[in-house]
Amino acid sequence: MAGASMKDIKLRIRSVESTMQITKAMQLVATSKLRRAKERMESSKPFGVLARQAISAAVARCEDAHIPYLTPRESKRRCYVIIAGERGLAGGYNSNVFKAVAAHSEGVEYCVLPIGRKAIDKYQHMGVQLLDDTQYRVEGANVGACFRMANLLVEGYDQQQFDEVWLVYTNFHTMMDQQVDVQQLLPVIRAELPEDATPVSTVYEEEPAETLRKVVPDYLAGRLYSAVCDSFASEVAMRRNAMDSATKNADAMISELRLRYNRARQGAITQEITEIVAGAEE
Amino acid sequence: MATFHLQIVTPDRLVFDGQAERLVARTVGGDVCILAKHIDYAAPLGIGAAHIVDEDGKEHKAACSGGMLTVYGGEAILMATTFEWAEEIDLARAERAQQQAEEKLRKLSRDDREFVLASAKLKRAIARINAVE
Repeated sequence: MAGASMKDIKLRIRSVESTMQITKAMQLVATSKLRRAKERMESSKPFGVLARQAISAAVARCEDAHIPYLTPRESKRRCYVIIAGERGLAGGYNSNVFKAVAAHSEGVEYCVLPIGRKAIDKYQHMGVQLLDDTQYRVEGANVGACFRMANLLVEGYDQQQFDEVWLVYTNFHTMMDQQVDVQQLLPVIRAELPEDATPVSTVYEEEPAETLRKVVPDYLAGRLYSAVCDSFASEVAMRRNAMDSATKNADAMISELRLRYNRARQGAITQEITEIVAGAEE
Repeated sequence: MATFHLQIVTPDRLVFDGQAERLVARTVGGDVCILAKHIDYAAPLGIGAAHIVDEDGKEHKAACSGGMLTVYGGEAILMATTFEWAEEIDLARAERAQQQAEEKLRKLSRDDREFVLASAKLKRAIARINAVE
């Protein structure tokens, strides 16, 4: 009996060990990807800040009552831009995003523009209308793809296919802290734009409204690109953390199993000695 | 010469952040030159060659497309779709792109959706080639 259980334990140890090797390898891959993802995220930040400043300067002197892309209209339908991952095994990364969308879109009619394979699969499966059939990727996403998406969103907004555009992505705060964020992309919220203190007369090359019409798609593309970079860094960080704790768990499990194995081995030896001694006494 | 604070930014990076004597860029209305103490200004950008003169008086050429140029309180922000310094441009690639776009344009009719895209591509390729030469 002791022998059989010894064999069982040995098999368990071996299987946990091979799982640990995989989680460890995934952790290493994630760590090496993380550095580049963070660099990309950092370099995508300035655009949003400066673009907001520039747009607010342009808006400040816009005298039209109806400013394109800034004046809200009655909302009947929303479009969600949802950024999730390409793969699973990243803790709650994907499901957190989907939960946030479900909570936010309750009772609203909406269509989606999913980015990342997990998001595309999920919303295709749910039967929600997708804005575009292109399979947008998160890893290695380029600025060009973000411009295509931004144009698509602006086009849909102009044609009144939807009246609001929301972005759901994972914001990278620190290595240990990534939060899902839901933000409005269109109409651009004025409160987001910094107030300007001293309005002076501005020279416009074109009408302010026309300027905005041209610039808002660029701004959106920049926002999308930065959100994609943020999400990817979060995904990699969460995967690294998940794999780190999985490796630690496996390690703890192995030492527990080793202890049990040794105990079983000791038990078997003791029993054998007892049997031999008992045999000799007879 | 007097300088002003200039920031050039594209979605994927902060290209330039520092003092400049002069900025020349192509807006939708044509080339403009920004010098220090310029009045507040806003213009959408076209596609074309651009250059800056930095505080040491050295000229840096670039190709720039899309976005907006604003001057506000004496500080200039150029947010562009693409902004490449001349030394970053692959001339052979730009020339290939020019040829391809020209061929495409010959085949397309003027009201094709693709026509706009291809002509933008051609303009970008020409801007890059101009920036290098």
